[in-house]
Amino acid sequence: MDNLADLKAIWHTAKTESLPSPDEMLGMIKKFRRQKLRSKWLVILTSCMLTCLIIAVLLIVPFKFWTTYMGGGLMAASGVLLAVTNIRSLKRFYQLNDSNNLEFLAFIEQTRQNQIAYYKKMQVLIMSLTSIGLLFYLYEPSVEKPLWFIGIYTLAIAYLLIMWFWARPRYFKKHSAKLNATIQRLENLSNQLK
Amino acid sequence: MTDFESIYKRYAPQIFRVCLGYTNDADQAKDMVQDTFISVWENLSNFRNQSQISTWIFRIATNRCLRALEVAKRMPSAELPLQLADMTEESPEEKLHFLYQSIAELPETERIIISLELEGLPQAEIAAIVGLSNGNIRVKIHRIKEKLAQKFKAYGQFS
Repeated sequence: MDNLADLKAIWHTAKTESLPSPDEMLGMIKKFRRQKLRSKWLVILTSCMLTCLIIAVLLIVPFKFWTTYMGGGLMAASGVLLAVTNIRSLKRFYQLNDSNNLEFLAFIEQTRQNQIAYYKKMQVLIMSLTSIGLLFYLYEPSVEKPLWFIGIYTLAIAYLLIMWFWARPRYFKKHSAKLNATIQRLENLSNQLK
Repeated sequence: MTDFESIYKRYAPQIFRVCLGYTNDADQAKDMVQDTFISVWENLSNFRNQSQISTWIFRIATNRCLRALEVAKRMPSAELPLQLADMTEESPEEKLHFLYQSIAELPETERIIISLELEGLPQAEIAAIVGLSNGNIRVKIHRIKEKLAQKFKAYGQFS
């Protein structure tokens, strides 16, 4: 008995009538299109808008201290870096069009490695620029009123300390465990094809 | 050239069966079909006929399967339905269920290879989709078929 022919016959008895019609599918496609990359687009748009806003304020308002320009400049630079990082990542996804399973697994594995590198390097750079920029930027509006100065800097430093020593490690811990598990599984999948 | 509707009509059932072979879950498989055709719709105008359109679509679909990492964790892989033990006259539904169950027990990439084979794709095309040589695919299909045949024999599906 030809087992494969039997298996093929069984295989084709799977019911496919419940699949959406072409029109229904087109409706769904229009609704859900790019939904998965939406968060990246949002980050890109938000960071570009904030950068433009900071630059516009720096150009329009006549500030007296160089610290304000320095602070604003650093924050704008971090915004550009954030946008560029996300654009590069999006570009990689859009380039991924006609690749076989083996190439695809290598791509996903590389993406995960990039994410880890991002957490370790780029995120530190972006956060450093923003933190230093913020501290510079707040100097001019608060320097003439000592009470304001103390209040604003206490709040800003507390916020930065929370971000650096609580939020970031927590976020990193949560994601790195997940990323490592994913990388492990991808390696396992690639090994199956060797 | 080819329009979306005719491509969808021709390939959606095939893609659905292949994804069902991977996930063993009809809802997940439907989601993957949708995901696949979102990609097809977005990239159809850029498709340059470098490969056959079927190779291109099956590559997208099987890559979606491989990417659905969380799906595999939830998938029952080692259980067999209880009623199979005392099955004598198997209905087509039960046979189909057993086939999908047997495929679900295979490693992920073998599920893809055998699903494409059962779908009737030429082995050269399967090789192009997976990214292995023709010879390698032939050997793998042979081994997977043996594994499946053993499972079916063990449950008295084939004599």
